[in-house]
Amino acid sequence: MSATENPLLEGLRLRRTPEPCALVIFGASGDLTQRKLFPALYSLAFRRLLPEQFGIVGVARTEQTTKEWTAAMKGAVQKHSRDPFKRDVWSALADSMTYVATDFADDHGEDEVLEVLRSLDADRGTAGNRVYYLAVPPAAFETIVNELGERRGGGDGWTRLIVEKPFGHDHASANELNEILQQWFREDEVFRIDHYLGKETVQNMLALRFANGIFEPIWNRQFIDHVQITVAESIGVEGRAGFYESAGAVRDIFQNHLLQLIALTAMEPPIDFTADSVRNEKVKVLRSLHTPGPKSVVRGQYGRGFVEGEEVPGYRDEPDVAAESTTETFVAAKLYVDNWRWADTPFYVRAGKRLARRETTIAIQFQRAPHPPFAEIAGDGLRPNVLLIHVQPDEGVSLAIGAKVPGQGMSIRTVHMDFLYGGAFRTGLPEAYERLILDAMLGDATLFTRADEVDEQWELVDSIVAAWRRDRPVFPNYEAGTWGPRSADELIHRDGRSWRRH
Amino acid sequence: MSVVADVERKLGELREREAADGTPDLRTSVMTHVAWAPPRWADAARSTLAGLEERHPSRTILLFPEPRRGDSIDVTVSMQCFAMPGVSQEVCSEVIELRLGGTRAQAPASIVQPLLISDLPTFCRWRGEPPWGESELEQLVDVCDRLVVDSSEWTGVPAAYEQLALLFDRVAVSDIAWGRAREWRGRLAGLWPGIEKAERLSVTGPKADALLLAGWLGSRLRREVALTRRSAKELTRVAVDGVAVDAPLGGPPTASDLLSAELDLFGRDPIYEAAVKAA
Repeated sequence: MSATENPLLEGLRLRRTPEPCALVIFGASGDLTQRKLFPALYSLAFRRLLPEQFGIVGVARTEQTTKEWTAAMKGAVQKHSRDPFKRDVWSALADSMTYVATDFADDHGEDEVLEVLRSLDADRGTAGNRVYYLAVPPAAFETIVNELGERRGGGDGWTRLIVEKPFGHDHASANELNEILQQWFREDEVFRIDHYLGKETVQNMLALRFANGIFEPIWNRQFIDHVQITVAESIGVEGRAGFYESAGAVRDIFQNHLLQLIALTAMEPPIDFTADSVRNEKVKVLRSLHTPGPKSVVRGQYGRGFVEGEEVPGYRDEPDVAAESTTETFVAAKLYVDNWRWADTPFYVRAGKRLARRETTIAIQFQRAPHPPFAEIAGDGLRPNVLLIHVQPDEGVSLAIGAKVPGQGMSIRTVHMDFLYGGAFRTGLPEAYERLILDAMLGDATLFTRADEVDEQWELVDSIVAAWRRDRPVFPNYEAGTWGPRSADELIHRDGRSWRRH
Repeated sequence: MSVVADVERKLGELREREAADGTPDLRTSVMTHVAWAPPRWADAARSTLAGLEERHPSRTILLFPEPRRGDSIDVTVSMQCFAMPGVSQEVCSEVIELRLGGTRAQAPASIVQPLLISDLPTFCRWRGEPPWGESELEQLVDVCDRLVVDSSEWTGVPAAYEQLALLFDRVAVSDIAWGRAREWRGRLAGLWPGIEKAERLSVTGPKADALLLAGWLGSRLRREVALTRRSAKELTRVAVDGVAVDAPLGGPPTASDLLSAELDLFGRDPIYEAAVKAA
């Protein structure tokens, strides 16, 4: 109800609390549920952001009782939550939990889920509102969607479906998934997660660009020399070899996180901050992205090396990885956004595993000062200004500027002006999943990817992968603990530029 | 050496000392926080500050008026540093304590103004009931963007609300007593439309909280709402026309939480102002 209908609501600054609903998690005994979903739900409960009429239904194949599942989730919350464990907060959450052990394809099991939901409506007042969270491998996706679709009644209440990545493995399969979804669900009922969009610093990119008058006038090809986006991980495949062998860096990171970061960096100002306005602008960027040719994309695979002082095995020596695997663990590319704002401005991107350190950054490198009048620093001494957005870790923004070194003469050095998120806002950044689960319950799809975005993302990835099929790479081609293969350096050096120094 | 120069020198020394400990420090400020705390409020002001600095990195200027002393200004400067999770840096806030003796307590603006951080908002927390019309209040109202009071610290309500309302056109005002009842207002809003014709409000809690709650309900519903009150230290019960309202979940927020929430607000709050005028 709005403040115009209820005068008591005006100015109340009430927290955004969703309507009564039940959350059904498919894949309730899985790693994602334990490491991310339940800690996020606990944090929401801790801040009283969940509706009072609320129920959680866990669905998975693992045979266990509700009591056993609740105990496992309690352990997960104690281990992974960012908030202190409070018994009363947990008890309220635990009281709302029910577990159903079933195969996803089992009609009886799905009927049982439906029964539990009806009981929640009657006992806890969840009002027929459902949020289904598909925290399951892609293979189970179609079965669950069809089972849910067939059981959609015309009853009261809304339905929302949260879909985890990977959303398909190429353009055709993503289209198929979209068709399956659209058979049963409207687009505004589907919430495709890219958890990067739930990160505060990613959203801060929008604030930085569109809430500050000083940046937008220079946010274009006239003033920006190029953009560099790095999504670097120091870890290896960490038990995800089964998925990673068929995905690689291009499908795991590039297709979703990296392209979304480009879209947010390059998009035009939306007319407002509604889901469709923001996504309309993002999709225009994705539609205008291209690589200038096969030589502008390089891939790599790590071999043995040292990460943080520890010797680590090469990718092919990881458990469950094929001895002759040609899966890429690194990808770098030069991309162009073909529009009025960005024509001829390269976006250099790279993502990889077992790199020198964990870091996600967006670096906006401005043009050099046209004529520095200082003789002492002529040439390489005066570096261009760089606006650096630290997505993780050390969330914040830095601006590299030239400053005079105190003393005689006019010696210039580059210094960083830092804004650290944690320094100015000491409230602790919410985890991405907290924001995304809450938004889905509220029906706000701004931070979720729309079908046409996914479509454009896969089209670009398909064109890259198609070129790779023609040759057989010589892997491994970079040592673990370095910044990737030599070819990635050559990619950017050809243009007279270099990757940021770390 | 002038007082301001003395403060700046001491701050410089503290920064050097902090920098020398090997942990890089980050001086971050989101505001200047001025607190006016007469002697009986001094300890409370310091203890609230202890829970606040970490959440709102700021320069804090604590003003302790001591009009019965001789004319003098005593300065104490300290730096409060907090470790930042995950990085080898600390974020530091500056705390400047000024004891204003004798007539100095009547002219605080002249010392506060040179110490404000440029281009950031200035919040002034006034402890106890302000001396309406006196120069110290008038001066600080003119230098602050937001005046934060807690009318439950006052003895003169509801009459004092008339004086407070005279300031609304000069400075944005926040009231901790108003913030404390926020969850209860949410509960009452949840009773709409059944509450539309409410006639009686019964409150167990502090007088200011009860007056503001009744003033708010009456001003929003545009009708007279009679208030009956039972005294208590905290808001524990609210009933409309004899029917008890479900209490909000969780315990009452701490003093630091309440002040912290007020420091996140900018601009006037017309709903609060209407409640004050109706109280």
